[in-house]
Amino acid sequence: MDLIAFMSMVILIITILTLSFGVVAYFLYKLREKRAKKQQQVTYEELREESGDDFIFFEK
Amino acid sequence: MKGVLFLAFIALLAGLSIFSVIELHSLYFAMHSFIGELGVVMLLIFTLLITLRYLGLMLFSMLNNIRRTARRHKPNRDYPKVSIIVPAYNEDVVIQKSLISIMEQTYPRLEIIVVDDGSADATFVKAKQLEYDNGVSSLKVLRKPNGGKAKALNYGMEHSSGELIMVVDADSKLSDDAIERMVPYFDDIRVAAVAGSVYVSNRINTLTRLQALEYIEGLNMARNGQAFFKLVSIIPGPIGVFRKTALQEVGGYDSDTFAEDADLTLKLIAAGYRIDFEPEAFAYTEAPDSLLDLLKQRYRWTRGILQSLAKHKSMMLHVMRRPKISLVLWYMFFESILWPFMDVLGALFFIYVSYTSGTSAFIFYWWLLFTLLDLAGALYCVLTTRESLSLTWYAIFYRLYFISVINVSKIFATIEEWMNLKMDWGKLNRKGNL
Repeated sequence: MDLIAFMSMVILIITILTLSFGVVAYFLYKLREKRAKKQQQVTYEELREESGDDFIFFEK
Repeated sequence: MKGVLFLAFIALLAGLSIFSVIELHSLYFAMHSFIGELGVVMLLIFTLLITLRYLGLMLFSMLNNIRRTARRHKPNRDYPKVSIIVPAYNEDVVIQKSLISIMEQTYPRLEIIVVDDGSADATFVKAKQLEYDNGVSSLKVLRKPNGGKAKALNYGMEHSSGELIMVVDADSKLSDDAIERMVPYFDDIRVAAVAGSVYVSNRINTLTRLQALEYIEGLNMARNGQAFFKLVSIIPGPIGVFRKTALQEVGGYDSDTFAEDADLTLKLIAAGYRIDFEPEAFAYTEAPDSLLDLLKQRYRWTRGILQSLAKHKSMMLHVMRRPKISLVLWYMFFESILWPFMDVLGALFFIYVSYTSGTSAFIFYWWLLFTLLDLAGALYCVLTTRESLSLTWYAIFYRLYFISVINVSKIFATIEEWMNLKMDWGKLNRKGNL
């Protein structure tokens, strides 16, 4: 196998892996942001659910 | 000796590049369908544009360096007062380092204004600890409810008294003579703004070193090349000085895009002003050190630039009437939309060619050509700045891995912007590695 053919194969494999990785990384980023936002926007009902239906009193 | 070595290396790169283009050209004859031929033609046009972009920016950057070193600024007899606005939102980890670097400036007449944009952490307290006023220069901390960076900057501007306004991000540190180097450009009344060089301060892993290379080659060199025409397209958030009257004329910062710096620069160019660049004025900034944080940053940059482009798109067609702003807008369109799309489509095309007719050497030549351009650009930047030579070799990984992942993210961000999906600022958590 000559060097150019070998390098072409290497670049091809890396290109496929990198593009796939780029897509996966982007969706991981979106997922992380979605989770972070959800944690920030927790509703009163969700808080009650987490605390086992005990009433929660907020202090000012 | 350095110059001879550089010329020899450039000659080698040029030879290899020409060889790669010839090899890529023969790909056309290997195609047996109209779609394949069309793909090759588009690829060759794109390759030509990218090559011209690299060589053009390098050439103009070199010419600008020559012009800059030949020019002698008159020593400042009367130092115009510079108001430095530091917008800060939850920056308690880095704010003091940033402010100390501003307080240590060699320039005498400074008015430092920190605008705490409703931080929920100790930013206000930490900035307040550094307040002073010695009659010549001062530091004061203002506080307002959270309203975004553009509003914070306008608020700071309203409370300023300097003739020149400097904007510094709260996560950035300045070199001690940055302001002294930037102010003389304003002797020319046509100059509305001057950008400085941005460097990565936290080179702690491969990702941040790749960004360090990207900052010097993709951002600083590009700005130096654009400065030859006095048309720097974006004054970066970490370091930029503006003429206050010009800012007031264009209405200051707008809050309708997520790239307020790009939007403001476009407004100034559209108003007929010149935008210059001082490569020896440095700002060191903390770059994202994890991939997902980097994607978060680039997502905002991409959508912000696209919003700015959309806002000013009517001027793209005024090629004859307003050539400067039209040229800048087309350049930004090429860099932010066309390049990422063509880069990824090109890679997909070569995967298709390899799938239909066996692994082809063309994909190697395609990669080689761009890597050579990156290497030449990186070497040029390293030799003309005080950067370490070892950074040059990251150009190989830059093309192979880094830029493809970033481009995929840019494409998704472009599609989301086109679909007008809701977005927020995407604040990064600081680690304090300034």
